[in-house]
Amino acid sequence: MADPGAASAPKPSSSVKLVLLGEAAVGKSSLVMRFVNNDFQENKEPTIGAAFLTQKCNLPTRTIKFEIWDTAGQERFASLAPMYYRNAQAALVVYDITKASSLIKAQHWVAELQRQASPGIVIALVGNKFDLASTTAPSDATSNGDDADATEEQDEEGAETDARKVPTKTAKAYADEEGLLFFETSAKTGMNVTEVFTAIANAIPETSLKGSRGVGGQTSLGRQEDSARVNLTSGRDAAGPNGGCAC
Amino acid sequence: METLDGTDWDVLIVGTGLQQSLLALALSRSGKKILHIDKNDYYGGAEAALSLQDAEVWASKIAECSSTSIFTNASISQYSQEESGSDVPKLSFSRAYSLALAPQLIYARSSLLPLLVSSKVYRQLEFLAVGSWWVYSPASGFDGLPSSPASADDISQSRGRLIKVPSGREDIFVDQSLDMKSKRALMKFLRFIAEYEEQSEVWESHRQTPFPSFLSEQFRVPAHFHGALMSLALSSSTSNHTTTEFALARIARHLRSIGMFGPGFGSVIPRWGGLSEIAQVGCRAGAVGGATYVLGKGLDGLQSLGAPQLVDGMTATNTPDGVAVRLKDGEAVTARWIAGSTDDLQPIASQESSGDGRTEQTATVPVICRSISVVASPLETLFPALAEGAPAPAGAVVVFASGSLSLSSDAESGAELPPVHVFVHSSDTGECPAGQSVLYTNVALGGEEGFALLDRAVQSLLHAVDIQPVPAVLWSLRYQQNYGSAPQFPQTCASPKTPSVKDPRVLEFGTASSDLAFDDSMLEEVKSVWQKIMGDEGGDFMVFEDREGTNADADDE
Repeated sequence: MADPGAASAPKPSSSVKLVLLGEAAVGKSSLVMRFVNNDFQENKEPTIGAAFLTQKCNLPTRTIKFEIWDTAGQERFASLAPMYYRNAQAALVVYDITKASSLIKAQHWVAELQRQASPGIVIALVGNKFDLASTTAPSDATSNGDDADATEEQDEEGAETDARKVPTKTAKAYADEEGLLFFETSAKTGMNVTEVFTAIANAIPETSLKGSRGVGGQTSLGRQEDSARVNLTSGRDAAGPNGGCAC
Repeated sequence: METLDGTDWDVLIVGTGLQQSLLALALSRSGKKILHIDKNDYYGGAEAALSLQDAEVWASKIAECSSTSIFTNASISQYSQEESGSDVPKLSFSRAYSLALAPQLIYARSSLLPLLVSSKVYRQLEFLAVGSWWVYSPASGFDGLPSSPASADDISQSRGRLIKVPSGREDIFVDQSLDMKSKRALMKFLRFIAEYEEQSEVWESHRQTPFPSFLSEQFRVPAHFHGALMSLALSSSTSNHTTTEFALARIARHLRSIGMFGPGFGSVIPRWGGLSEIAQVGCRAGAVGGATYVLGKGLDGLQSLGAPQLVDGMTATNTPDGVAVRLKDGEAVTARWIAGSTDDLQPIASQESSGDGRTEQTATVPVICRSISVVASPLETLFPALAEGAPAPAGAVVVFASGSLSLSSDAESGAELPPVHVFVHSSDTGECPAGQSVLYTNVALGGEEGFALLDRAVQSLLHAVDIQPVPAVLWSLRYQQNYGSAPQFPQTCASPKTPSVKDPRVLEFGTASSDLAFDDSMLEEVKSVWQKIMGDEGGDFMVFEDREGTNADADDE
């Protein structure tokens, strides 16, 4: 999916730190696996501690390189997340549509992010395991190439006949109220997974990709992040012209 | 929440300061069972970066003596902004700031940077260039005047100037203020220092000579240029207490670092709050490796299972397998190794010599006064472009040489005041919002006198930057940091146990470095602790492969 090397057109490229949060076993790591490797593992063992992965997302006008922090859901002492969401520009808060309590936990994470994380962080609420829900999902849900709102027109009619415990409407209403992006996904089938990340990439404000965090209504002074960043691996050959370029 | 009570670990790391966090990184692929705790509810320990709200909590904890013994006398001032117009940047909200308690610049030649690369964590960090060095030059005639108590009025009338330190031979060549003779002298010195180790005959016999004397006598460098060279040494001592040996090594490091990572600069700072960011990255690596992290949980003491007496300096409660300790809230855990800073290990330090409390050596303990000021201006004049193709600088250094500032109190005493160093960070660092900047000041002088000198330096800097109206300070924090093994305690705080750990399984990091630049000896300590824990099984220190899932194309970054 990422196409290193071939796409040498000088599109502006920026890194976005993204953190995944959510209750244990809702499929956080599986979502990342699907996004990064287009792969799915049944009965994946729980993440210990955390995992760090990267993946590029090509937008028409720029390239976003996601630096993804996948945290352990069964975190025992509530001390790990703060080291991940610090300076994160995006968060993916995941719940399991077949488990009502996981949405409560997700709401708890959203509240914590709003209280503690960088101002202006883009938060996406994601209901995973859509494949376990009734098969009455509209067939275009998986093929919808457009990003956001792929699930919006989805129905609620099949909600009682399947393993689904969290109605789309409930979660969507909460997401709207809090100003979150909202998707239902299946890491197993791949449904909506890329769409989530693309929507996040599109929602990251230009300003937070530049030198400043773009907060408080201040505009960035026009210095681009990439022009200030020092590349540690370009050393030794000293004053090369690519000294500070992170592209 | 689960309990830690009764758990058993290979390594217990206490505190998430830089050294402990680098240890966590070094052990992250070791397969050891690691518990990493911090008494604070934030990461970074003495190197933490704080939001405005965090800083208030931090300062009030210090006032209550409940937090740590290395910091004292912390106070925050917030300045009224009512009179300033609407176009002037105002203090933004708390989390728009990430202020570093112990800012240090990292020279390109520091061995920290190759370790961050070989351990692969550099991908999670962003480094920014420290650009120009400036030396404050008091207005002529000001120096000799008996100065009345420092006030802003006083300073604006006697406005000094900031003079940019030439960053190389070309700069010196075009410098109008130098005559040919001085230029030749400087060039000669620069040629010498490029390979000074090989020319021991020039300086060996002057190792302990004050550096200014060495410059005058050996190289005939004009006195008015001593400050510029001195500033590159980042010496916290007065000029006459800065030895030639010390200054040569530091200036050589400075000059040799320039150009390593790009033209025109030789040192870098991590984005988002300095060393705190490196500490967090170390902890994240630890977590990825499976370590358990618990914030808000410090050591409480050695676990007493019935026989709490000391036997030959060792507690009798130690099990053969490890040291049994009690954490805050009473949980007992056992660990084969315990590593932490002197400060963090204090609750389990042996108490043998603490009978009468306070030690006698408080007068000799190194003390630093620091302040952090948020300024309502980007101070762009301090960040000129460095060179063709160079990254935009995000840091600048302003040095007030010893004697260039004066306080009313020292006018008579004649004692030379130590230099004040100011790190100016632009909003590119992510430490403040756009349109503002942060001044980190540092002086090796304790108490009110130290703070007064810092205030004077900040005011003098803001009047000397040539920006109208004079930029305002929106918010500031000041505090004293106590180094060395016997911290200085205010009367109001209980005296501590003497921190002298006897158990060989308790590995102690010395007190944090008070240096203005990252001190590589910190890494040696981490490495030696790591070696003790790993024995012969360690392999190469902090040399790791990329973990799965980190795409190889990240390499072209």
